[in-house]
Amino acid sequence: MITAPVPRARPNGWYGMLALVATESALFASLLATYAYLRFHDPHWPPPGIDPPSITAPLVLALVLVAASAPMALAARTARQRTAGPLIAPVALALVVQAAYLAFQIHLYADDLGRFSASGSAYGSIYFTLLAVHHAHVGIGVLLDCWLIARLRGGLTGYRRTAVGAIALYWYFVSLAGLAVTATILTPAW
Amino acid sequence: MAVESPAPAAAERIGRLDRIWAERPGLSGWITTTDHKRIALLYLATSLAFFAAGGTEALVMRTQLAQPNEHVVGPATYDQLMTMHGVTMIFFFVIPLSIGAFGNYLVPLMIGSRDMAFPRMNALSFWLYLGSGLLVYSSLALGMAPDAGWFNYVPLASRRFSPGLGIDFYALGLILNGVSSTAAAANFLVTIAKLRAPGMSLNRMPLFCYAILATSFSLIFALPPLTADLVFLELDRKLGFKFFDVAHGGDPVLWQHLFWIFGHPEVYIIVLPAFGIATSIIPTFTRRTMVAFPLVAVAELLVAFIGFGVWVHHMFATGLPQMTMVFFAAASLIIVIPSGIQIFAWCMTMVTGRPEFKTPLLFIVGFIVFFVFGGLSGITLAAVPFDQQVTDTYYVVAHFHYVIWGAAVFPLLGGLYYWFPKVTGRMYHERLGQATFWLVFAGTNLTFFPMHIAGMLGMPRRVWTYPSGLDWSAENLVSTIGAFLLTAGLLGMLANLVMSAYTGAPAGPNPFGGATLEWATTSPPPPYNFAVIPRVTSAYASWDDDDRADDRRRLESGELVLETGHETTASTPVDGHLDDVLHMPSESPWPFVLGIAATLGTAFVLTDHYLIAAATAALAAAVLVLWHAGEPAAA
Amino acid sequence: MLAAGCGSNQSITSPVTDPAREIDTLWWAMFAAGMVIFAVVLGLLVLAFVRRRRDDERPETERRAYAVILGGGMVAPVVLLAVLFAFVIRVMPAVSAPKPGSTDLTVEVIGHQWYWEVRYPGTDAVTANEIHLPAHTPVRIVARTADVIHSFWVPRLNRKIDMIPGRSNSIELDVPRTGIYRGQCSEFCGLGHAQMAFEVIVQPPGAFRSWLDHEEQPAATPASGTAAAGQQEFAAASCGDCHAIRGTSAAGHIGPDLTHIGSRNTLAALTIPNTPGDLMQWISNPQGWKPGSRMPGFASLPLSARRALVAYLESLR
Repeated sequence: MITAPVPRARPNGWYGMLALVATESALFASLLATYAYLRFHDPHWPPPGIDPPSITAPLVLALVLVAASAPMALAARTARQRTAGPLIAPVALALVVQAAYLAFQIHLYADDLGRFSASGSAYGSIYFTLLAVHHAHVGIGVLLDCWLIARLRGGLTGYRRTAVGAIALYWYFVSLAGLAVTATILTPAW
Repeated sequence: MAVESPAPAAAERIGRLDRIWAERPGLSGWITTTDHKRIALLYLATSLAFFAAGGTEALVMRTQLAQPNEHVVGPATYDQLMTMHGVTMIFFFVIPLSIGAFGNYLVPLMIGSRDMAFPRMNALSFWLYLGSGLLVYSSLALGMAPDAGWFNYVPLASRRFSPGLGIDFYALGLILNGVSSTAAAANFLVTIAKLRAPGMSLNRMPLFCYAILATSFSLIFALPPLTADLVFLELDRKLGFKFFDVAHGGDPVLWQHLFWIFGHPEVYIIVLPAFGIATSIIPTFTRRTMVAFPLVAVAELLVAFIGFGVWVHHMFATGLPQMTMVFFAAASLIIVIPSGIQIFAWCMTMVTGRPEFKTPLLFIVGFIVFFVFGGLSGITLAAVPFDQQVTDTYYVVAHFHYVIWGAAVFPLLGGLYYWFPKVTGRMYHERLGQATFWLVFAGTNLTFFPMHIAGMLGMPRRVWTYPSGLDWSAENLVSTIGAFLLTAGLLGMLANLVMSAYTGAPAGPNPFGGATLEWATTSPPPPYNFAVIPRVTSAYASWDDDDRADDRRRLESGELVLETGHETTASTPVDGHLDDVLHMPSESPWPFVLGIAATLGTAFVLTDHYLIAAATAALAAAVLVLWHAGEPAAA
Repeated sequence: MLAAGCGSNQSITSPVTDPAREIDTLWWAMFAAGMVIFAVVLGLLVLAFVRRRRDDERPETERRAYAVILGGGMVAPVVLLAVLFAFVIRVMPAVSAPKPGSTDLTVEVIGHQWYWEVRYPGTDAVTANEIHLPAHTPVRIVARTADVIHSFWVPRLNRKIDMIPGRSNSIELDVPRTGIYRGQCSEFCGLGHAQMAFEVIVQPPGAFRSWLDHEEQPAATPASGTAAAGQQEFAAASCGDCHAIRGTSAAGHIGPDLTHIGSRNTLAALTIPNTPGDLMQWISNPQGWKPGSRMPGFASLPLSARRALVAYLESLR
């Protein structure tokens, strides 16, 4: 019987998440390309009557979301190298930041909806769609965090190590995508 | 083969594996199965049922077009049949058959694994596919099928010009179908990367697996633009968004760009598995290794890659800038080169080998003929001014049926014969097989060749009728006769396979002397595929007698039999060194339940019951938690 | 039935103009080269079949096979495709969109579900489903759409151009021979797509000029009593909500302009010939001839009323 040492390759779950991230990247690329396409198609961007987005809040938020990947990276490192170290605490820290981010973003979103509508112009359509897709990804990530913490409370297994690494990878992607989305929707304000 | 007359120690181990890998009997076994082979058979049966539906739609259309001014069906019915035919053949027949059935059955066997990397997700892919197919087909039963063509251009497909639910069935059904295909593609990528038997470095991997690898990459990156496009369309239709509305800053050409960024790679997604089947069948029946193996492997990947850079050649008549068209014409021509390399590699393998023209190889010869012919007509469509003449005529219909029917489906038909003994353990009827090949081959040419001429004579595609006096009548009549001949050939093939499944001679593990690992196990393979994880030291594993003898020895000694649990091995992604032993998940009802929930949720969105749809989504999330409640013993 | 009405086919290989001829030449060149390539591959397959039972083991064949694969799959395609690419680049300008103002005459063609509206900018002329052009004269065709995407295509004269909402595409038609050339919508546009054809009627420049002068005129006042009654019926049945007849109160824009309907060759975008009998059938049951047409049937009108309508419309010459 083979006694497997620590495997050299990443676990299947991590590779599976990589495939998901790849396809999601293509989805965000399609959305961002659509934004650029519509923008260059329409000489009035945003159309008359809609103010360009304000810069500060979205930019700060996007950076905060990227920063929340740091504790996730720490947890992933601990899990992968099988060293002793806190796992629940960094994930919980990330969760708090990410959930706060989502709450603030939804607040801004509702605010925007009060100013202009998604069905009034192509600008509104892509603006709200792009942000909604991003927020949905953050929301799913928050649910994944909760699930992970619940699992980790029952102790650490190989399966859960894989989950930590895969969910961390998901968050790297979501925060980078968030940065790209923010940079794109802020272009009219430059 | 040792598996047939095992020594006592080996027999004991095999008995243990049989117990560990046994699944529920009966219908509930099919619903909860995670065995890639049974899932493949589910895909096979379902995709063939949809093939029958799509074929029937084609025959009704051909009957309507047999003569000018016919009134078998009117335009309302014809447009639905035409749309459903395209959607069915592409999304519910070819891809599920090639990737879902052939890929699923063969990839784990060819790489010497006991299952896919994510067996339950594999089952989920199937149930989502079935759900999406039933959802879209329910529209036909309700008489409200989509009718704007398979590429569904806006604004014809907008709510203003297509007010019914038909387009919503199309859009939401294809989103669901896309989720299924994406999950399947991700599963293949990880399976091929991680589950290859120890010793199977990338350069020893069968070319069929390269083809599935390339296809999976394409799916992963090609489906999201389609999904985005479909989501935009539904937002426009249901919530009044303005993505495609010119009056409010939108643009209908955006739909076309996103659709064809998906649509052209899709052609290669359809054709690449066929390439893989060709490169499986040719070495077997020519008794030699593929000539230029590495070139063919690289060419398969290159085709998938360049396929992403040619989409604009579907839009040459839309009035794009000249420079754009020149660029995309060049890209469309460049893709000829990797295709050409493969064609010559197949031909030269046959020329330098000793080909035995049995039914599977005949279908591959037919495939080469059609692929070269369809490829050549494809080159003419990259020539911008000529494309601007013939696009949206029957010339294009002829071209893509040569490619998608002739080149993509012929190897699948050949593959059905080739792997039939492996799947059923019995031989098909060879003479009848060859007869059906000639019927199908002749029927294909008779159906689709005259369409080139009709197109050159100016017949547009997607017309439900045409007047006399334009010289289109003879071409159309011949096409219709050909379609029925083709159908006769396919029915003959079905009869051959169904009868042979019960009465065929026993096949044994390797009746054709195949080179890849699926031939190293029994026919049909046991649920665990291999009694011992095979050793691989070459690209033609089943021709490697030393390695197979080593397998028998290791079955005796118990090395890599993995008889203590539901297990398989994992290897490093490039070199294929043994890296880990994985505990694989076994049968589960949750993929089926999640498939139902997702389909119902989509149906609720379709009918504007958004709250119920949200509740269904919450239910699906709960199912996911239950799905992951149990943990494998080791990971 | 229609052959009488159109008198010419839609064959790409019967070009009449220079651009269509250049495309035709490109086609035959590609066809010839393609057949040679096809023959080479078929030859290899035949060779494989002929040699299938030989006994010799020749290890050197592997290298020769590589040479064939690289030669046939890479070198030959690169050369042939480069030649084809140069050919394509050379033909493209001949079929490219003309610049605005580059021709003396511009014709606007507007696609509708499911007919063609034809306008001559700078004049009041509006007609439908037939495009009159002067021979030997470069004409810029500007193609737009009123609803969904259509595609303007007269195979014997030039390549096709899509008619897309929010855009206009253009093409030059310079036809050296008088005659009638058939065109047809070639982008799927819904129920009436198959029955959305039109004619390009190329006349000597003088005849064209007088046709255009006549076409600009408003409709003639009905001369006969039946025709005058028909005009009453036209108003009473609200035909003017959808159709325009210049010089009367009818100003609808859903169906074709009928100001000179009597002088047109066909009805319903080449679906049926324009004879009083056919017009009667059309008015009574348009869905029977062209399913999906926006035109409602008027079978409920008394026969005398329909006869009067036909007389009136046929008088609009």
